[in-house]
Amino acid sequence: MNILKGTIEKLTVSGSLTLIGIKVNTTDMSAIVIDTPKTAPFLKAGNTITVVFKETEVIIGKGNTDEISLRNKFKGTIELLESKELLSKLTINTNVGKISSIITTNAVKQLKLKLGTAVTAMVKTNEILISE
Amino acid sequence: MIEISIQKKLTAALGEMLLDINTTINKGSLVTLYGKSGVGKTTILRILAGLLYPDSGKIIVNGDTWLNTTTKINLKPQKRKVGFVFQDYALFPNMNVKENLLFALNKGQNSSIVNHLIEIIELGELQHRKPDTLSGGQKQRVALARALVQKPSILMLDEPLSALDAEIRFKLQQYILAVHKEYNLTTLLISHDISEILRMSDKVLELEHGKIVRQGTPNEVFNHKELNAKFQFTGTIIEIEKQDFLFILTVRIGKDLVKVVADESEGAQLIIGDKILVSSKAFNPIIHKIG
Repeated sequence: MNILKGTIEKLTVSGSLTLIGIKVNTTDMSAIVIDTPKTAPFLKAGNTITVVFKETEVIIGKGNTDEISLRNKFKGTIELLESKELLSKLTINTNVGKISSIITTNAVKQLKLKLGTAVTAMVKTNEILISE
Repeated sequence: MIEISIQKKLTAALGEMLLDINTTINKGSLVTLYGKSGVGKTTILRILAGLLYPDSGKIIVNGDTWLNTTTKINLKPQKRKVGFVFQDYALFPNMNVKENLLFALNKGQNSSIVNHLIEIIELGELQHRKPDTLSGGQKQRVALARALVQKPSILMLDEPLSALDAEIRFKLQQYILAVHKEYNLTTLLISHDISEILRMSDKVLELEHGKIVRQGTPNEVFNHKELNAKFQFTGTIIEIEKQDFLFILTVRIGKDLVKVVADESEGAQLIIGDKILVSSKAFNPIIHKIG
């Protein structure tokens, strides 16, 4: 699990969904939840929240990732890389802290990922869990 | 409403312990007493039932005083209108199911409730059978019906389901909830099973060493609100397989087995038998209509 601390910047409510703009250090993140400030009172601009996402949901990109729909992007360098037959585990040192990612070893080979490679770790908005 | 304020010095495994309980329980609610063995859960039920006398305190049930040690009021157990179900069924072996229920009637009480209970708890096909021909789950259904014959003000369930396997437990939980609603009972349950507590209770009183240390809705007490996941279940780990950086957990949730992948750091802390909360975003699951 990747666990980050952030601050709620902005809430956009529509029906029973809320899009949450979160600031983690200087990086903007976004999460969408089936909750509103009414059902979950901790959804309030300025509140500190914990942001959680699973390492198996972290996508790794190399080079320019500007034109990708993912809203949560963390630029960094690969600090740890361990490859097994099918899967590889990466730890990426980013501005929000260390982020773990599990991707296929085939992907590691194809992208020629090595220790120190500059990458962007990315997570979809609907994969982000939050808690008080 | 039940107002409870009781104090009693107990001799527990680790020496003397003061049971000191002050709480109110709303009429019609299902409240679980949760805590380790020896914290006083069963003692509280026994004092409420009038089977044990506290050193001091009072019990007021829907405005009637059952106990007040200052004014020396102490209603006898048979006047207190409580129904009790234990892990042990304690049915009369020489009577069939219906006779067991009829025997529990008060003198002169209309027996129509027995038929009504047979209907709700679905004992129709079993009503002429003797207890020793019934399974554990069936016996416990009879014990539940019998506890309700006298239309109690409080139904007390002291780990009634802990000897039963998961599927039967689940069914009995449904029966308990059905009669709880049907008769607008105030029900006190002792349970260690968090998924059972989450499914059944309106309120949880967590006890430690004779005192209530936490109370609230099951979500509040077990912190399950923490993660705002909408797709979450409690389950028991029945198998752990390690593969590369991952642990593949087999988890029993109700009567279903599911597999969940956990990261190394999480998986390393888990052992078979652990209770876990499995959460996912509501966006992930794929659904298929099957019926």
